[in-house]
Amino acid sequence: MKNQPFVASLTLLSTLAATLVMPTAWAGPYDGYTLRVKLIGGEQYEPLYSVIPEWEKKTGAKVQIVSSKSHFELDRELKQDIASGKIDYCLFSNHTNFAAQYVTITRDLKPLVPADFVSKFSPRVIQQSTIKGKLLEIPRHSDISELYYNKKAYDDPANKAAYKAKFGKDLAPPQTWDDVAQQAKFFAKPPNFYGTQFAGKDEAITGRFYEMLVANGGQLFDKNFKPTFNSPAGVKSLNWFVDLYKSGAVPKGAPNYVWDDLGNGFASGTVALDLDWGGWASFFNDPKSSKVAGNVGIIRAPKGSSGKRTGWSGSHSFSITQSCDNPKAAADFLMFITGFDAQMLEARRGLMPTRLDAQQAALAEFKAKNETYLTDVFNTFAAGMREDSFTPPLIPEWVEVSNSIWPELQKAIVGDKTSKQALDDAAKKVEALMDDAGYYK
Amino acid sequence: MKLLRKLPPEARLLLPAFVVILLVVAVPLLFSLYTSFTSYRLVRPETIWNVVWFKNYLKLFGNSDFWWAFGRTVLFLTVVLNLEMLFGLALALLVNQVTRGQRMLRTIMMFPMMFSPVLVGFQFKFMFNDNIGIVNHILQNWFGVTEAIPWLVESHLAFFSLACAEIWNSTAVFAILLLAGLMAMPQDPLEAARVDGCTPLQAFRHVTLPFLMPFVYIAMTIRSLDVGRAFDIVKIMTNGGPAGRTELIWTLSARAGYEDARMGYANAMSYVAVLLSIAFTVHFFRKLNASRQFLNEVDA
Repeated sequence: MKNQPFVASLTLLSTLAATLVMPTAWAGPYDGYTLRVKLIGGEQYEPLYSVIPEWEKKTGAKVQIVSSKSHFELDRELKQDIASGKIDYCLFSNHTNFAAQYVTITRDLKPLVPADFVSKFSPRVIQQSTIKGKLLEIPRHSDISELYYNKKAYDDPANKAAYKAKFGKDLAPPQTWDDVAQQAKFFAKPPNFYGTQFAGKDEAITGRFYEMLVANGGQLFDKNFKPTFNSPAGVKSLNWFVDLYKSGAVPKGAPNYVWDDLGNGFASGTVALDLDWGGWASFFNDPKSSKVAGNVGIIRAPKGSSGKRTGWSGSHSFSITQSCDNPKAAADFLMFITGFDAQMLEARRGLMPTRLDAQQAALAEFKAKNETYLTDVFNTFAAGMREDSFTPPLIPEWVEVSNSIWPELQKAIVGDKTSKQALDDAAKKVEALMDDAGYYK
Repeated sequence: MKLLRKLPPEARLLLPAFVVILLVVAVPLLFSLYTSFTSYRLVRPETIWNVVWFKNYLKLFGNSDFWWAFGRTVLFLTVVLNLEMLFGLALALLVNQVTRGQRMLRTIMMFPMMFSPVLVGFQFKFMFNDNIGIVNHILQNWFGVTEAIPWLVESHLAFFSLACAEIWNSTAVFAILLLAGLMAMPQDPLEAARVDGCTPLQAFRHVTLPFLMPFVYIAMTIRSLDVGRAFDIVKIMTNGGPAGRTELIWTLSARAGYEDARMGYANAMSYVAVLLSIAFTVHFFRKLNASRQFLNEVDA
């Protein structure tokens, strides 16, 4: 009992200490800090941002989204920021295929993000996020195109019999791009039904041509960055598009199509084969948005004449700016929104996670729920990302190179020039711009 | 302050306006003019000091794609402005005849102006889609057309489709201004013409139209400066393609400036576009002065 005053004093002291210490114990490591970020906006990307309050609660920091725009608007804004030298934010949405343009404002993440965190990601995607040895971005989700097909067209007994009679083999989803051309012409009954379709303008057609070129054994540049896409492999690749367009196997408006036209076209049930992005998978199989729901098949992208598959791909990502005043907080936030839980949130919405653990967990979830379509989609896209994916050359001039190529590709497709002439003209333009940019000095 | 006091009172009163105009208009204009003589790239800010003199302009004038875009822009401006004027005039004359519910009609007439050109571009792009668009759907199902018309691919049709979208979006500007002209018009000359035995067509030709011409030229001037907004429509619907068939100076310069980040070259292109706008504006101002002089002579 004689210890009573001591115990009472101790209790009082503990209470006082707790009162003084508790507010700091409750506060997070970045209490009071405001992290300014520029994020890509849009229906596909914004659900991820619902996890931001969780990070704010954990760290005591606030996230201020100073800009939320579509990819192309954000690209324009970032370029203006670089020009004005006003980079007053810490983190921004990036993309592997365009990151080289923002190198001057982007911080190397290797000192900020632990190696064991990076090791959770697909090595190929991490390699695509690294420029000149610097890890410039942490990928959020990946995009690659695989071949969707309308099962109704393939299961139709009349089609099966007619195809067998005409070509002497069974009608089955195509394995090569030559098969695609043959089947597309077979299915086409314009203006009601088309064999296939392709994006015909902007970077979309440059990308499609580029992946076909690679699949046919060609390359855009040699090791000195001299254009080589006007090679025989280039002409063969461009002829594939020209031939399908001339034959009427693709819609006449294809030279003006981009992704939304293609997605809506396949969903309208008027197209047999569609090389398209993973993000469309749920849309195609949803009866509210698609007439082919329940009849969508998916296979790996076909092979070109070199035996390689087409695999133009890219990953949406996040980067930290050089001028960031609290890179540790920015890195913490970055790891939070590219962490396992955040990637699972996007995976459940049909986006391909870049973390291997999230890919496996998402696949296991789909299998457990007996969602065979999503399981197929995930398996196909994961295999494509793992084995076939490649980005355009990671150079700041990529957009400019693409803008020099696509109008010439269109000229060949609509018949204003031959494929060789169009590619030679594009090669001249690209060579001039690469010369201007100092590649040949 | 001493220097300010030395200025006459009228100059002191005008000074703030001059300063504002200098900062808001002249400085950016001079800055962009300067950059048009440099190899300025947005992503390499240091290139702003790399003066290349007339290299950008020489490159531009030697580029056939640019001259095609220039010619197409002049044609687009001419066709679109004249058709907007005709449709706007027709709308204004019709609405002016309405005695009940005119206010509601005037509001409805302004609806298209309220849509952003980006939205209009998407709407018309889907309407003119050859495979799933409503235009081909109607033609195929109601008028027995058996093929898919490539509205946004064939060069004349693409030009027509873009013009349709732009005219739909902006005709209301003409209609509102011309309606204001009609409402302000004194009725005495018209009544006198009727008493003198003029037919409605003659009254319109010799009385209404001359009175409206100043309003027409004011609307033309405003629209010729404002028509650059059509960039958004063209960007969304065709982005200048396919194969450059709908390329206008605006799409070409925006691509060079923002996508390719070659701001020096893009600004050189923009200055040519500015000269084109000035030429149109001067032309319409001359016409405006001539029509006002004509009205003054008639009054006298």
